[in-house]
Amino acid sequence: MTHRILVVDDEDIILEMVAIALTDRGYSPVVCNSGTDALAVFRETKPDLVLLDIQLPGKDGIEICRDIRAESGTPIIMLTANGETESLVLALEAGADDYIVKPYKAEELTARIRARLRTPSEPTSTVLGIGDLTIDVAGHEVRRNGELLSLTPLEFDLLVALASQPSLVFTREMLLEQVWGYQYKADTRLVNVHVQRLRGKIEEDPDNPRVVMTVRGVGYRAGSVV
Amino acid sequence: MNRLWQRVLAMTPSQVWSDIVRFWRRSLQFRTVLISMGLTTLAIIVVGIYMSVSISNDLFSSRLTQVLNESQRAQAAAQRVLDTSEATDRIGAQSVMNAARTAIRDATSSPYIAVFRVPGQDASVLAPQDFSSPELTGDVISTTLRGDVEGDSAGQYWQSVALNTTIGRVPGVVVGSQLSLPGGGNYELYIGYDFSQAESTLAFVQSVLWFAGAVLLVLSGMVAFFVARLLVRPIQVAADTSEKLSQGDLDVRIPESGEDVMSTLSRSFNSMASSMQRQLTELAELSTIQQRFVADVSHELRTPLTTIRLASDHLYRHREELTRDNRRSAELLQAQLDRFESLLADLLEISRYDARTIELETEPTNVASLTSDVVGLMMSLATENKCEITITSPGGHFDIDVDPRRIRRILINLIGNAIEHGAGSPIDVKIDSSPTAVAVSIRDHGHGMSPDQVLQVFGRFWRADSARKRTIGGTGLGLAISLEDARVHGGRIDVWAQVDIGANFVLTLPRDRETEIGELPIEPSEGFIS
Repeated sequence: MTHRILVVDDEDIILEMVAIALTDRGYSPVVCNSGTDALAVFRETKPDLVLLDIQLPGKDGIEICRDIRAESGTPIIMLTANGETESLVLALEAGADDYIVKPYKAEELTARIRARLRTPSEPTSTVLGIGDLTIDVAGHEVRRNGELLSLTPLEFDLLVALASQPSLVFTREMLLEQVWGYQYKADTRLVNVHVQRLRGKIEEDPDNPRVVMTVRGVGYRAGSVV
Repeated sequence: MNRLWQRVLAMTPSQVWSDIVRFWRRSLQFRTVLISMGLTTLAIIVVGIYMSVSISNDLFSSRLTQVLNESQRAQAAAQRVLDTSEATDRIGAQSVMNAARTAIRDATSSPYIAVFRVPGQDASVLAPQDFSSPELTGDVISTTLRGDVEGDSAGQYWQSVALNTTIGRVPGVVVGSQLSLPGGGNYELYIGYDFSQAESTLAFVQSVLWFAGAVLLVLSGMVAFFVARLLVRPIQVAADTSEKLSQGDLDVRIPESGEDVMSTLSRSFNSMASSMQRQLTELAELSTIQQRFVADVSHELRTPLTTIRLASDHLYRHREELTRDNRRSAELLQAQLDRFESLLADLLEISRYDARTIELETEPTNVASLTSDVVGLMMSLATENKCEITITSPGGHFDIDVDPRRIRRILINLIGNAIEHGAGSPIDVKIDSSPTAVAVSIRDHGHGMSPDQVLQVFGRFWRADSARKRTIGGTGLGLAISLEDARVHGGRIDVWAQVDIGANFVLTLPRDRETEIGELPIEPSEGFIS
């Protein structure tokens, strides 16, 4: 099955070139050159992944990201320029899963796309417990007292990674490798922002977390099963 | 006020002393007052001693002249009485002597009289008995004085003594001379004069002097206090203003008034501050312009560059489908594009440093483990260049707050350079720390550098040997960026090198960015034989 990828950028030349590169690697690209149309195109085409430029005239990538997250957990990778640190953090907080800095190589781009589209290796048990939550790994469901919690695939992967080895303290680098698929030390802000977002959804009191625990100066670990 | 006094009274002498010392060092006014009071004290002591000595000399000598005259008159009157003596027996002689004593009493104000027969004369039946007022008994009249008087029948001698009066010993003078009793031989006459009056006058004068001196001292202290206050106040204002200025408040000025030296100081200070403010504003504007320029350049370049990059990647990926020349073109395009991109990235990075728009993203980082990570990362490159990297870390195993991405970049750069210029020689990486800093040294045993080259090594686009072929394409900006990366952490990079012996680059970072590095944990020349 070919994955459908929505590419949003205001530069037609880049859209054309990215489409060539993606087609060449077996993806099926859908392009959109306007921020205001992006959400409509997204709803219409239901892509498997979105590549989103941050700086767009009309409606910027951060807003589009927020809108998509409001209705879907589809992986979003931001396309950013070096030096846009502030807007990048805003985009991550709005729910973007990952980012890639322009100018990027086609290989880097496809590596990021692959990492977000891959199905994580099946853990040994199909039902995991973390804190007061139960995770149905095969069914991609997280429940608290039978009530379903809605997570994006990335957030789900992050939670499963922690829950499948509850005795282990994960450093940010380990999580970057295991969840984001980075082979080298990348931006640890990705981990910080997404742990915060995850806590916002699964913790009863995000300021006093019981499911995803911080280990000061090291990283994170799973809260003990209740 | 009571509290203050309680505090003052509760202080030990050493606390008081240290308070005074601190005050002395800190307050110009206190120092001025103390110095001027000290100098006044010295002046009062000198003048006081001079006055008191000369007054006492004058008092004594005028009294002495008076008593000598008196004594001479008394002696003359007594001698006249004695010369008329026609006594033939002891009783007669005694009455003549008594008459002489009366004459002495009339001629002088002093009641203290002594008359002794000069010893060593022939015994005489007429000779009256010695006589002495009780005030002159004992050793009041010294043997020296008596000797002088006995040896000279015409002279007058005197001596300062303490008289035994009824109110105790009082200062005085004894004047001695000889009398001659016809038929009875020579007699010594001593008259004692009380000088206590002169002394009490002197004491009074002295007490007035010292009191006046004390008043003068207090007054001079007060004068110094007010004068110093007058002078110190404007200086204090200037000092406070420049302090505020140095803390970045560029709008402060000293009030200007009058035409004295203080107002000149204020005016020149203010014009200095204005010109500084102008230049700083200009610099800030320039920096903003450069900042915007860098942002614009990177924004404008990223679209064409991304397209070129993707297009080149595509051509390169399908190079096998191309003809020989086209394939080679695609390969060259791909390789040079890599170089172009890293050059552009470095240029933009150094521009950001120049425009001071760098923001550190610090986190607690263990420099020792960061270094061994980087060495691990560089291992494949090292193996390619057939050089061996050994790593020792006697120190540095603790977290410091740094931007790990920048420190990693420095280490990659330094180790990369060592591999490139080490000519396959072994590379020693060492991490050590001091109480204030942590250092990483990267030592190669390759071509080394001359002292001239060492001076230029951090220059932009400088290359160690332009003739030597580069094996690991660098941009020529690597060390310049590394140096900025170190400096932005409050750190430094030191180099030591010798031709054909090798080079040692030492990165030193302070444990706390706000504090000084202090002594270097690793000296750059360490391990070299000079």
